[in-house]
Amino acid sequence: MSDRTQHAANPDVDVDVIVVGAGPAGSCAAIALARAGFSVVLLERGPFPGSKNMYGGVVYPRILDELIPRWYDEAPVQRWITRRSTMVMTDTQAMSIDFRNDAWAAPPYNGATAYRPDFDHWLAGHAESAGAQLLCSTTATGLLRDRSGAVTGVTTDRPDGDLTARLVIACDGVNSFLAKDAGLYREVAAKHYTLGVKETIGLPKEVIDERFGVRGREGVDIEIIGCTSGVNGGGFVYTNLDTVAVGVVLKLPALAAQQLRPEQIIAKMKTHSAIAPLVEGGELKEYSAHLIPEAGLSMMPKLATAGLLVAGDAAALCLAAGIWLEGVNFAMASGMYAGQAAAEALRRGDTSEQGLAGYERRLTETFVLRDHRKLRRAPALVLSDRVQHRYPQMVAAVVERMFRVDNPDPKPGLRRILAQERKRAGVRRRDLARDGWAGLRTFG
Amino acid sequence: MNSPIDIVVCLKLTARPGVADADERFAGVSPADQAALETALVLAEHSRGSVTAAAVGPVAAELALREALACGAHRAVRLDAPSALDSAEVARQLEGVVGDAAIVVCGDYSLDRGSGSVPAFLAHRLRCAQALGLVSVDHTGVVDRMLHVVRRLDGGRRELLTVPLPCVLSVEGSVARLRRAGLRDALAARTTNIDVRPSAPMAAHAATAVVTPYRPRARTMMSPGDPDPLARLRALTDATGSSTRGETVALEPGEAAERILRSLREWGYLD
Repeated sequence: MSDRTQHAANPDVDVDVIVVGAGPAGSCAAIALARAGFSVVLLERGPFPGSKNMYGGVVYPRILDELIPRWYDEAPVQRWITRRSTMVMTDTQAMSIDFRNDAWAAPPYNGATAYRPDFDHWLAGHAESAGAQLLCSTTATGLLRDRSGAVTGVTTDRPDGDLTARLVIACDGVNSFLAKDAGLYREVAAKHYTLGVKETIGLPKEVIDERFGVRGREGVDIEIIGCTSGVNGGGFVYTNLDTVAVGVVLKLPALAAQQLRPEQIIAKMKTHSAIAPLVEGGELKEYSAHLIPEAGLSMMPKLATAGLLVAGDAAALCLAAGIWLEGVNFAMASGMYAGQAAAEALRRGDTSEQGLAGYERRLTETFVLRDHRKLRRAPALVLSDRVQHRYPQMVAAVVERMFRVDNPDPKPGLRRILAQERKRAGVRRRDLARDGWAGLRTFG
Repeated sequence: MNSPIDIVVCLKLTARPGVADADERFAGVSPADQAALETALVLAEHSRGSVTAAAVGPVAAELALREALACGAHRAVRLDAPSALDSAEVARQLEGVVGDAAIVVCGDYSLDRGSGSVPAFLAHRLRCAQALGLVSVDHTGVVDRMLHVVRRLDGGRRELLTVPLPCVLSVEGSVARLRRAGLRDALAARTTNIDVRPSAPMAAHAATAVVTPYRPRARTMMSPGDPDPLARLRALTDATGSSTRGETVALEPGEAAERILRSLREWGYLD
């Protein structure tokens, strides 16, 4: 390791930049800064990067093109997603929209499944190769500040654990202690979070290939609505090489109100006739759970203050917009842009809030904030009671009647079926119109 | 005050129980090795001594050594050798590092099917005192080059020993809890030079150990003769029998031998 990575340019501080959290955001920030020639310490509270992380579906690593050219040749990917399904489910019915694309099975690919302990470890390895010092099993417990209130470092849970820096980048995940310590969150409320829980079930690769209709490294991702036992949220099933992940994402206040346990909800989901044949006979390998910041722009904190940037889940940069459920790519992008903006500010010697404005500018100019702004109404719409409970019932009933043959009765008209089932589901026409308009404005 | 003493702590990096592969993310040293390191550090602090952490193995073993350096070991030595050596060969490789040490501290056994025999082989090669399977080490005697230790015996008994230096100790994990490395020490340890030495030529008798999952030894049991299935089950499982078979008897040697053989026959170990 070269000297530049061990000593800060400014002798008054220990290091140029402290990046807290070696998840996708932290590692990308560290890569960008270390390659720009700055000394970086990357703190990780787990015993290794990714050891504490989980996600519920697909990684879209295209943003890595800028940091790691041809990343797909080396990334520890389980399967490349070539089938995407959206499923609407009731207790006894399921309707899927299934899309398959052979082109997604070849470079430059689209999305992939991966084990986070492998993926995050790989990405942090690139940060180390670039010159960042990775220190695991170390929790940043708070911020150090100077008299003006500017952030000057972090305290950690190790003895003699204060570390000073010209800049701190908080990538310490959802429920970020550092962003809260800095006062960047306006409000922290349970309604802004969902709980993701997941079972990873082992099955032979050939069995998975056969059940999901894929070959080789092709993979499947199924997003489900209506599978959460009345708790607002959604579900997912996706394939790894020799495991299948089955999970749900549950709105916290609704989960508390229903007094259900997440594992009960997953257990019920696994007994559904649309899911059971996919996972039966499998061996439970892992059960994991994690909070998800799902409220988008409405919960997003201030992204910078003097001496501090916030990225990834710590900045609530997770997109939960129904058909788009993305987090890791937003984390990687925000981390990379934080690293680039930090390098720019450090070169100018200005790490004030104004000096760090390049971070938010980058996010605004790219998909990170543009997607969040465009889809700002999506989380509330997707998690609304009508979308969660009434529409799945209505859609399933309409489809069931469309395909049911009631001879000698003649086939009813589709408009008539729609009207009858809308009424039966308790959906008012004006609510349907309002939600349809909201959907158009949100996703259109 | 006597002159500072050199202490060597021997560490072994192993996969954690239940982890099949040798992925370094899931590797670590045993609680006993951690206790050995802490014991060595405390002894060094009370004797103005220095601690050398030593490991035999490939480059991955340096993870254990860097943790030792972060916690306060003064230097680290890795003997570059394959990881699957038998205990006698490991001790032979370590001899060159520990040869002049006043105290060698080891964990009582490693996590990967350790037999706890390396410390004994080391003591044999060094021709020094050994105290193995310790549950307590009193550091106050180190300045007088005499250690007072407590050793675990069968049946919950303890043996108090006074061990002269030089000596080899092996300690259980309960002896001490390893201190948490300071932040700066942990950062510095990442780049501290580790003295990597080529392994000594393998001894002619040296054999590479075949590492297999731990299997308890088979025990011969008398077939229960009772025709009643429940009685046979009870006889096989001791479900309703006495839970203690141990007893203390004071006999002449010849009588004692007879008594042992009789008991072994009763228990089904001998025909």
